[in-house]
Amino acid sequence: MRITLALALLVALFVLGPLLVVVPMSFSTANSFEFPPPGYWLGYYRSFFGDERWLTPVFNSIGIGLATMLLTMLLVIPASFAMVRQRFMGRSAINLLLMMPMIVPNIVMALGYYTYFSQLKIIHSPLGVVLAHTCLSVPVCYLIIAASLKGFDRNLERAAMNLGASPLRTFWEVTFPVLRPGFLVGGLFAFIHSFDEAVVAIFISGQAASTLPRKMFDSIRIEADPIISVVSTLLFAVVLLAVLSPLAWRAIVKARSQFRAA
Amino acid sequence: MTVFDRHMNALSQTHSQGVVMTQAYLEIRDLVKSYDGKQQAVRGISLDIRKGEFVSFLGPSGSGKTTTLMMVAGFEMPTSGSILLGGREIAPVPAHKRNIGMVFQNYALFPHMTALENVGFPLRMRKTPAAEIARRAAEALDMVGLAAFGGRHPREMSGGQQQRVALARALVFGPDVLLLDEPLGALDKNLREQMQVEIKRIHRELGITTIYVTHDQSEAMTMSDRIAVFSQGVVEQFAPPLDIYQRPTTRFVGSFIGDSNFLDVTRQNDGLVAQGIGALNIAAPSQAGKFHGLVRPEAIGLWTGGDEQGHCVLSFLIEGLVHYGDSVLLIGSAAGLNLRARLPSVQASHLHEGDTIRIAWRENDMHLIPVQ
Repeated sequence: MRITLALALLVALFVLGPLLVVVPMSFSTANSFEFPPPGYWLGYYRSFFGDERWLTPVFNSIGIGLATMLLTMLLVIPASFAMVRQRFMGRSAINLLLMMPMIVPNIVMALGYYTYFSQLKIIHSPLGVVLAHTCLSVPVCYLIIAASLKGFDRNLERAAMNLGASPLRTFWEVTFPVLRPGFLVGGLFAFIHSFDEAVVAIFISGQAASTLPRKMFDSIRIEADPIISVVSTLLFAVVLLAVLSPLAWRAIVKARSQFRAA
Repeated sequence: MTVFDRHMNALSQTHSQGVVMTQAYLEIRDLVKSYDGKQQAVRGISLDIRKGEFVSFLGPSGSGKTTTLMMVAGFEMPTSGSILLGGREIAPVPAHKRNIGMVFQNYALFPHMTALENVGFPLRMRKTPAAEIARRAAEALDMVGLAAFGGRHPREMSGGQQQRVALARALVFGPDVLLLDEPLGALDKNLREQMQVEIKRIHRELGITTIYVTHDQSEAMTMSDRIAVFSQGVVEQFAPPLDIYQRPTTRFVGSFIGDSNFLDVTRQNDGLVAQGIGALNIAAPSQAGKFHGLVRPEAIGLWTGGDEQGHCVLSFLIEGLVHYGDSVLLIGSAAGLNLRARLPSVQASHLHEGDTIRIAWRENDMHLIPVQ
């Protein structure tokens, strides 16, 4: 028992280790990477929020992430319905195709996009990054949405139609609201996947459409600016917030319904 | 106007249009359903259901009863055949335009809506004014005894409560027919009996034509006006419960409902001879050469002597006794036949395994089913 606990702590430490270094460093007064920090201040935060060279990639990343999320959902929702509910020739082949971006190494994908998008003249443009990120986000988003669709009780749709709802109304009044949590989580993962992605972004985003991970990579390579620890800390905080928000939402809903029932 | 009044109005309106009560209201004609084009789940079913009738579809799983119900509801397209409601063909009508209420086995309540919103849903789909929706939904919830639970979500209610909400939701819009697909299957025994009474009460009050799918024979026996017994995609018999029990038309019906003994009966020289017993003094019901003779275990009694005319009297070796409290089931053999006899406990207190006793039944209590 005690050994298990010790092991668990060790694993937690291993996972959290980088954070324990990066987060304190972002408040450091040192003008290069130095650990432990000689003193603490908020200076690097101030310069991050005042620096266009950092803020532009942030907005690029958010824009590209949102566009990726939207496009991924537009592809994955209909695909999931077809894959889960229909039986057709070549279904398992299409399933493999949908999972392919997860299997093929990112660097191989990136190289492919680089040459292909150059010919299409959409390299170094937000459009190119969005298309590539959408492709990479499809597998994880598909897994989440297909799973929630498999757990969906078809009798709910039958009941709605039986009660007088047309197929379209049935979708908007019953299917969509019941599946909404699954859609939200799927969309969230598509966004995070795009927001975090570095390899493809380094290859094809260029200066014009530079995303935050790409900018961080450039910054480390070229200038070793301690601002990068600020960015890392903020990135971590944002992702943590995004992942925890569904949990928090569920807790709030539960508390509310308990309050009403009481 | 209550739900009850509205139904009474609907009934009197159809009367004034000259529809006679005894006429078929829901007609199912030569209905066939095949999912793969080869095997048929439903193989040519025809049923005439009268207005206001409570009909049960009874049969083992895979017998086609649920598939038939799905076609009546409009969730499955018949491969061939027709379904007429009040003389109108509804097979090509999509489910949402049929005005048929349905209660599902797993309730199928919308989890994101409160009980009141669930019950109001069919009215909202019919573009009923909001104030009327609120009033009628509350009324319907009141009818099933859940007036105080309107604000609850399905997950905050028990199984029995959810089933009541489902029932209210299926009735609130005044459907032409109510379909119930094994609605009590997920409930425990006490709750099931309570809901049976409740469903019968509502059926009596509203006079709504009802089809009840079940694999529980006692449920079908106690609730129905008529029972359709399904087996392997066909209806074996469609008759009132007592007829089904006393005068089954096929061996399957005789064995599926209640406990049964079957004897081979053959026609010989214009008379009937039962295997192991001998000549019978009863008339053959048809020209068939062979019959299944059905004797219910409770029709068999202890033979205390006297005139054997009109009785089958046998010497019976008891091989097992099963005590039910009020009755005892004797399992044993007589004249080379395996027989089961059910006696009231008070008559069987002196009996033990291995005893040989004299048993008898009246020849008239044997029901003959022609062998097909």
